[in-house]
Amino acid sequence: MRWIAALLVAVALCGTAQAATGDDRYGGTLRLITTAGSGSFDPQINYTERYWEIFQAMYDGLVTFAKTGGKQSLTIVPDLATEVPKPTDGGLTYVFHLRRGIKFSNGQDLTVQAVVHSFRRLFKVNNPNAGTWYDVIVGGRTCNAHPEHCTLPGVVADAASNTITIHLRHPDSEFLDQLAVPFGAILPADTPDHDMGTTPVPGTGAYMVKSFNPSGGIVMVRNPYFHQWSRLAQPRGYPDQIDYSFGLSPEAQVTAVENDQYDWMFEDVPADRLNEIATKFTRQVHIHPVNWFYYAPMNVNIPPFNNKDARLAVEYAVNRESMVKLFGGNALAKPDCQILPPEMPGYQAYCPYTKDPGAKWSAPDWTLAHEYMKKSGMIGQHVTVITEVQAPFRQIGIYLQDVLNRLGFVANVKPISSNIEFNYIQNTNNKVQISITDWDQDYPAASDFLDVLFSCHSFRKGSDNSINISGFCDPAIDDEMAKAETLSLLHPKAANAIWAHVDHQITRRAVVVSLFSVAKLDFTSSSLKNFTFSGEYMFLPQLAVVK
Amino acid sequence: MSDMTANETLAPPAPGYWATAGRKLVRDRAAMISLAVLVVIALLCAAAPWYARHVSHTNPFQSNLSGTVVRHGRTMEVLGAADNPLHLGIEPIGPSWRLGPYMLGADQQGRDVAARMLYGGRNSLLISFASAAVCLVLAALTGILAGFFGGWVDRGISFLLDALWAFPVFLLAISLSVVLIAHGIDFGLFRLDASSLSLPITIIGVIYVPYVARPVRGLVIGLRQSEYVMAAIGIGAPAWRILWYDILPNVISALVVFAPLIVALDLLTEAALSFLSIGVQPPAASWGTIIHDGESLIYTRPVVAIAPGLAIVITVLALNILGDGLRDALDPRAKLRN
Amino acid sequence: MLGTIFRRLVHMVAVLFGISVLVFLIFFATPGANPAARIAGKNASPQTIARVEQQFGLNRPLPVQYGLMMKKIFITRNLTSYVNLGEKVVPQVFRAAPVTLSLVGGAAVIWILFAVVIGAAAAAFRNTWIDRLLMVLSLIGISMPVFWVGTMANLFTQGIWHHTLLFSWVPPLGYIDFSKSPFGWFKALIIPWITLAILYIGLYARVLRAALIETMQEDFIRTARAKGLTERQVLLRHALRCSLVSVVTLFGLDFGVLVGGGALLTEVVFGLQGVGYLTYQALETLDLPMIMATVIYASVFVVVSNAVVDILYAAFDPRMRLRR
Repeated sequence: MRWIAALLVAVALCGTAQAATGDDRYGGTLRLITTAGSGSFDPQINYTERYWEIFQAMYDGLVTFAKTGGKQSLTIVPDLATEVPKPTDGGLTYVFHLRRGIKFSNGQDLTVQAVVHSFRRLFKVNNPNAGTWYDVIVGGRTCNAHPEHCTLPGVVADAASNTITIHLRHPDSEFLDQLAVPFGAILPADTPDHDMGTTPVPGTGAYMVKSFNPSGGIVMVRNPYFHQWSRLAQPRGYPDQIDYSFGLSPEAQVTAVENDQYDWMFEDVPADRLNEIATKFTRQVHIHPVNWFYYAPMNVNIPPFNNKDARLAVEYAVNRESMVKLFGGNALAKPDCQILPPEMPGYQAYCPYTKDPGAKWSAPDWTLAHEYMKKSGMIGQHVTVITEVQAPFRQIGIYLQDVLNRLGFVANVKPISSNIEFNYIQNTNNKVQISITDWDQDYPAASDFLDVLFSCHSFRKGSDNSINISGFCDPAIDDEMAKAETLSLLHPKAANAIWAHVDHQITRRAVVVSLFSVAKLDFTSSSLKNFTFSGEYMFLPQLAVVK
Repeated sequence: MSDMTANETLAPPAPGYWATAGRKLVRDRAAMISLAVLVVIALLCAAAPWYARHVSHTNPFQSNLSGTVVRHGRTMEVLGAADNPLHLGIEPIGPSWRLGPYMLGADQQGRDVAARMLYGGRNSLLISFASAAVCLVLAALTGILAGFFGGWVDRGISFLLDALWAFPVFLLAISLSVVLIAHGIDFGLFRLDASSLSLPITIIGVIYVPYVARPVRGLVIGLRQSEYVMAAIGIGAPAWRILWYDILPNVISALVVFAPLIVALDLLTEAALSFLSIGVQPPAASWGTIIHDGESLIYTRPVVAIAPGLAIVITVLALNILGDGLRDALDPRAKLRN
Repeated sequence: MLGTIFRRLVHMVAVLFGISVLVFLIFFATPGANPAARIAGKNASPQTIARVEQQFGLNRPLPVQYGLMMKKIFITRNLTSYVNLGEKVVPQVFRAAPVTLSLVGGAAVIWILFAVVIGAAAAAFRNTWIDRLLMVLSLIGISMPVFWVGTMANLFTQGIWHHTLLFSWVPPLGYIDFSKSPFGWFKALIIPWITLAILYIGLYARVLRAALIETMQEDFIRTARAKGLTERQVLLRHALRCSLVSVVTLFGLDFGVLVGGGALLTEVVFGLQGVGYLTYQALETLDLPMIMATVIYASVFVVVSNAVVDILYAAFDPRMRLRR
């Protein structure tokens, strides 16, 4: 019988051993690669996807988007707050109860003071959206005018009850979204009030920065003071270490991931490698739709596109399926006629600019296009298409030039450096007639596309930051959008209906040529398992299993 | 009474310098083959419109993304979805390797690569020859002036050459490409249009001037010490005479050696600059822009990048062999000794 | 002697000043280059942009901005990038320098060696098939664009044939520090060395051959032959020495430019983060401080190498000594 006892002991030991280590998916080093860093590493300043994707694992806001896959990833869950508050006072007041026992990666405790300080700091460090998002907080506009003396009375802390109360100037259905993005990160109360540049700031997240070299890369390790309080808000993370290296071109990145030298690449896979990875590494290719579209804004204030018929001619002539081909095929992009992308709340399929107008685009209508061209009287006009040097913008620009030439314009295309193109096309001093650019969401709200891109106050003459590139301004549409925004807090369905209506109206005005909406392709190595894609943050590195 | 003197009956008059050179050249088989190759390339490029209309039946400057072509009896898409489980990616049609549409396949806009190669050859050859001419003339001028006169002239010119060689040409190119976006610049006398070829010709011509000017300067410094120049100075010959009869022929001989190398470098620089959109504008082609297009097709349709590269290699080879032949035929040492 | 050195120094400072002013002016003349909007971030309000401008001194007159920038580069050495906010550009350039030096130095050794051998052999066997073959190979080397050769090299060594015995030793693209692993450093650089050297072997072999042939017709060579020296001795001891002048001139120019960051396309294709790579990135992102730092760095090398070449002139060709 002794051997039975021994066997039982062995089994028991195995059992406890298993319980002690738990899930053996934890551990290992995740290796990420990208071409270069992207600016300041300060989470309240950096506005790039590249760093947002890792900030979400290092920092926490009062609330956050659920860090998981599928539709749930677009819901807001409580993070440093114990629950997502419902606003009171007709939407003007939010009360957040702060969790206890959370520490920063430098050992400091999370206190209500840190929260207050972080909100004030948004204004003091010139957060890009301090003047557009966060000025809804009472005292925000004064802070924008005089950041050095910013007291932000709208954010009130109560150490005794461990709560923070935020007062808004008017109800804002997107306020929680704006707290959930990395800009809303809560930083230690003693964080200096200037751009931290290349010095990482301690956070409450599951990971912290061990070393940061702006030209070499970032090494992140587990935050020793972290304990998981919410699987959805800030998961513990499987890898023990995350290495984010800089310095390879996208072509080289693809080869490196194929050779299992890196686990994931940030850049898009170049079009000529798509067939290769889809054939030889099919299971390592992941495709997910995102709210991101490519479009060609037309300047409605200068010739020739101040003439609506000329704009309509272009809308009917562009073969959107050809554009999709230039992007990489139907698996990655869908022809688009309207502004809102398919996954956006308020989306109702609508396409007037095709052979059989209805919900979907089918084919260009050259007969109609030529008719509009003749009516416009713009035949023979010189047009310059401004686009970016990098793929696929350059090729899309060349194709658009071809379309314009066939319509009767005298067109040429000018690809310029990707780094200046985006600001160049916004500045009215440059008299850009038509350009190619793209737009992706900050968070899933229709206003992020319609209001930001088409409202009158997004149009600023002579400024490098005038995101309403076409220069379109219709106060009636602005009023309708304002109505939708007020309604969205308490009556989202009604608001969505209005957003759909606004979308269709702007589409009919032919202010921009919508080209296609895209899906994100991620290419991972054979060592990476459990690839998780969030609709807000995209690839979630902390949920990848590399052991 | 006869006019002929005793001397004149002794030997027939010697053939002239150029006749001798011409005869030597014709006997150089390699040089003649190269000349033939260059002529063929030039003729092919000249025949570009004919090729586009009658052989490829396409307009090489128009996108053809949704077009079709008949091959082996089947109708195929010019840009078709790649064949893989995820239907990911688009592949331009491959080369047919026989005379007809898409002999070398299509590029990512669906245009016929072979037709574009011929049109591209026109622009590439024009740009490289013109800029080489600009470079050699300027280099000869600066090198001779600096080497012959020395002193402050030399110092000034050397300073300019150093500054030029150290100058970040790519920055200038990026900046110019943005400034010239729609309008070009007005210089009063002439207009520099965004699509004008004089811009790449000037830029490429000027940047290699120091490369040639410095050896020319060194050569001229050496020549100035030589006996016959010293002798000429000694008898009081004016500077321009010495420059024209003694210095210049030797410099020309050196330039003839450099010329094909500079044309080669210029062809390659054109490829690099076309990457920054200076020079040949879409939808026009040059071998450089086709290499640029081909770079993003390297894994699927490498022929788009290889064909213009090969064209450049063959042209450069032919130019150099011809150049060698020319140099041997024109050897000024032979002239001086005769 | 001291006079020459002093003059050279003044010359160098003048060149640096001229270039830096030009770069500065070109940058600010480029529409869209003003970094304030890019630093402020996507869709920032006008107030935010105004504050950024003030912070970075972008609203001050150009000469003042130029002066401040020069002070920050040379005196206080804390000039920071417009793109990687907070990162000091001068230390970054110096960190990248050894990578470029490794790439260019190794390639230079290879190309000088091969060029001398090929050029001398071609001249010695002048007009035979050996000469023709070597010259054709040299020409092929000159005619291939460097970035194309690099892309092809990667296609084979990293992609198609990476798993075969031939190329499985090739490490992933990027630089391996010599202090971390000398063997790794070598393995990572061998393919880039060959890629970069191919162009210059071709160029230098041809120039050397032409120079040798010219020299072999000089009178003093005839004297050497008359003295009874063998052809090989004549070639190696007398002719080669004089012909190296033109090679040295070119080498001075090329090496100076390459070490200063001229091999940028090679560095980019192989993922080697040297000075050329930094220059390329700076131009792509229009990062004026980094552009300025790399341009000045490059100019210093060019001017210094030109000065060195002039000195070597005198050493190689005794006739030069007469003049100066």
